[in-house]
Amino acid sequence: MKRQYLYILFLLPLLLACKPKAPTHVVDAGTADFTKFIAIGDGHTAGYMDDGLSLGGQKNSLGAILQQQLMMVGAPAIEMPWMSDQDIGLNVNGLSRLILGYKTDCQGISSLSPVRYSLQGETAGFLSSAYNPLKKHTNFGVPDLRMIDMVSTAFGNINLPQHNAFFARMSKDQFNLPGSGNYSSVQENIFDGGYPTFCSIYLGIEDVLPYARSGATQNPMSPLAGFPGVGFEESLTQLCEQLYAQNVKAVIATIPNISDWPFFNTIPYNGLTLDAEKAASLNQIYNPIGISFVVGANPFMVLDPNAGMFGVRPAVPGEKILLTAPLDSVKCNQMGSIFPFRNEFVLTTDELATIQLRIEAFNAVIRQKATTYGFALVETGDFYEKLTTGFTYNGASLSAKFVSGGAFSLDGIHLNPRGNALLSNEFIKAVNKKFTAKIPLINALNYNAILFP
Amino acid sequence: MRYQNRLIVGGFFFLVFWLNLAEAQGFQVNFQGQKQQGMGCAGSALTQDASTLFFNPAGASFVSTSQVNLASTPIFGNVMYVDSATNEMYRTENPVGTPLNLYALVKPKRFHRLAYGLSVTTPFGSTVQYEPGWIGRFAITRLSMKVFHIQPTASFKITDNISIGAGFVFSPGRVNLQKDLPVQFNDGSFGHAEISGAAMGYGYNLGIYYNPGGFLSAGLSYRSGINMSVSDGQVAFAVPEGLAPNFPNGTLSASLALPSVTTLGLNVKPNASWNIVADINYVGWNTYDTLAFDYATNTSSLVDTKSPRMYRNIFAFRGGIQYTILAKDKVLNVRFGGGFGFTPVPTGYVTPETPDGNRAYFTSGVSYEFNKHFSLDASIYATKITRADTNLETQLSGTFTTIAWAPGIGINYNW
Repeated sequence: MKRQYLYILFLLPLLLACKPKAPTHVVDAGTADFTKFIAIGDGHTAGYMDDGLSLGGQKNSLGAILQQQLMMVGAPAIEMPWMSDQDIGLNVNGLSRLILGYKTDCQGISSLSPVRYSLQGETAGFLSSAYNPLKKHTNFGVPDLRMIDMVSTAFGNINLPQHNAFFARMSKDQFNLPGSGNYSSVQENIFDGGYPTFCSIYLGIEDVLPYARSGATQNPMSPLAGFPGVGFEESLTQLCEQLYAQNVKAVIATIPNISDWPFFNTIPYNGLTLDAEKAASLNQIYNPIGISFVVGANPFMVLDPNAGMFGVRPAVPGEKILLTAPLDSVKCNQMGSIFPFRNEFVLTTDELATIQLRIEAFNAVIRQKATTYGFALVETGDFYEKLTTGFTYNGASLSAKFVSGGAFSLDGIHLNPRGNALLSNEFIKAVNKKFTAKIPLINALNYNAILFP
Repeated sequence: MRYQNRLIVGGFFFLVFWLNLAEAQGFQVNFQGQKQQGMGCAGSALTQDASTLFFNPAGASFVSTSQVNLASTPIFGNVMYVDSATNEMYRTENPVGTPLNLYALVKPKRFHRLAYGLSVTTPFGSTVQYEPGWIGRFAITRLSMKVFHIQPTASFKITDNISIGAGFVFSPGRVNLQKDLPVQFNDGSFGHAEISGAAMGYGYNLGIYYNPGGFLSAGLSYRSGINMSVSDGQVAFAVPEGLAPNFPNGTLSASLALPSVTTLGLNVKPNASWNIVADINYVGWNTYDTLAFDYATNTSSLVDTKSPRMYRNIFAFRGGIQYTILAKDKVLNVRFGGGFGFTPVPTGYVTPETPDGNRAYFTSGVSYEFNKHFSLDASIYATKITRADTNLETQLSGTFTTIAWAPGIGINYNW
């Protein structure tokens, strides 16, 4: 008897398996139905990045990455107005996308810098329709799409100079050939194939961003009030009403604080670095009007009609010098010092405050609609705030810094693929929470950040 | 002279040492004697063979004969990582580890109270290699750490019942650490860094042993901590050309503090057939608070790193039973045992190179004496460890599950 026990104990270590067994996970749509999913938004949803729309960008868009993951819980295959597989990219000015390359500046110094991928963008993209009635788009991300454009019949009207060429190429109108003269709105296009069962809505950035990008000189922000197509609030309301009436569920996102983006933060307000000689010569010019310079870092000089008799003053902390500021001219032609930055390159603290207020007003509306209509809500501001602080994701550090931060694309506005994957995760978290779904998050390391030569 | 020849043979095996993390507490490897491995790795107070040189140097003078022991324990360790956010699963592709122990113990005929000997053991180390493209690639892709303890030892019986022993430990080692860098080439592939270097450390091993020759024997031993320092390590980067100035290849220095181990061992012998052994270890892991790399050339992208490890001192409990079957002059021993060790790795500091957790394990073993001179030992060890954590430094968040098997075999020659 004793010995039998002994033998059993002797064999005890043999009871273990060789390798750990893979666990099984529950993946579940919860109370949501993703069988007819449509992503609605601007360039972020479309995959606009590196200042262009390209096939690679589209595949790595916020909309596509999100939909790819939702396919685990029944979402359909991704159909987008695909660009060509040359992957050259295209922006409204006909230029290609940006890549990181070597650029020689006016002083003959070569360094890593965003450069165009090729001399010309794939302009053919604006000339041929990407609409296919058998493969209706599941992604209505349109670069530059504002909330107030959703019901506009002018938006895709190629006869009007202000039309959106990215929308025209994807619209069911197919440039309206042979042409009745009537053009359909974005919203009509979205609902063309019947109502979706689930939408992601990320709109509102373009209602403020063009104004900020122009240094608050043109492209006025959308007003809050006004009829659908004029005011932000009613434009959103009528969209939500339509979805609600058709029992469409949705996830909607607020507008982040765009002024934290690298486009507005890469050139510091005091980025004017002077040696003794340069400081002395600038002092000769500016000391008479009470402005002096020191060796080292100085605020850039900016034009300001309200600044004394000469309308020039040093930039102050908190002001933003935009990424569009010509740095070659700064280095070699005294731009920002003898020749102060024009208003289009500067956002003053007052202008920033105005933009901030408008964003907050829009966000208040978005939050209220989410509550009213039972939509999941993504606070994108929290995500971008985390980026601005910087965080570590599975051993990779990410921040809102231009190029080195690894989350923004080379235009300093749109996220790169990894950034989009991380933001997609915020959408998934919101959906999981609101609709008690169990959708796993995306491994953002599978998506490219910045590619180096 | 004869045993010296055997040492040379042993030196050959020394070249093929491979260690593996899977059987380790922290990266401590507890396979230093086949007989102990059969009894839950306990048995520091049971002086059956020359492995007491490692377990308790004082026990050496109680070993009845001069002897040479050679043993190897191939380790089959598999780690599975399941990421908590994505459900993605990754595994290790560890090579089979083969720690080897060599013991030579001499009892001089004229001074029967004295014994001296040499041990070559591998009490620390690991080789862990994760599958390509795994989610923690920026923390680690491969780590191979090998530490050898070469310990000349002397043991002396103060009285017939009490002995003391001491050994000096030379501890040469090698480390090779590889990981991907979160910078990407134009084709999307990631940069890579490899740190390698030789290390050296010194320590000692002390013990006291009490054996009245009856029902109970007991021992207390202390192996000192050893600071393994890498003075001329090399770091090599594979990064895009545009970033090469930021990641200069060059030298670095680093150090790793191996913990002290205090062991209290008991052996109870109720009758001629049975031995019951129990060990308590106290391991001074708190010396491993930081893993620091000091690069000779720093840039904005390459700064000296100080990764917090914050290990805690821990207790481990081991126990086992040996049953002796006498068949004429041939002796058969059968053993089984187990143990439990607390993890030295606190919450928030679990890293993929040491995915450690509290562990329980089971072992069994057998010995057979063919004749007066020659005997064989075999043992088997198995454990499963599960540890979930979110690392504060890398934000890796998931569950590591480790299963390790270690069948060992040893030969002994006595004279």
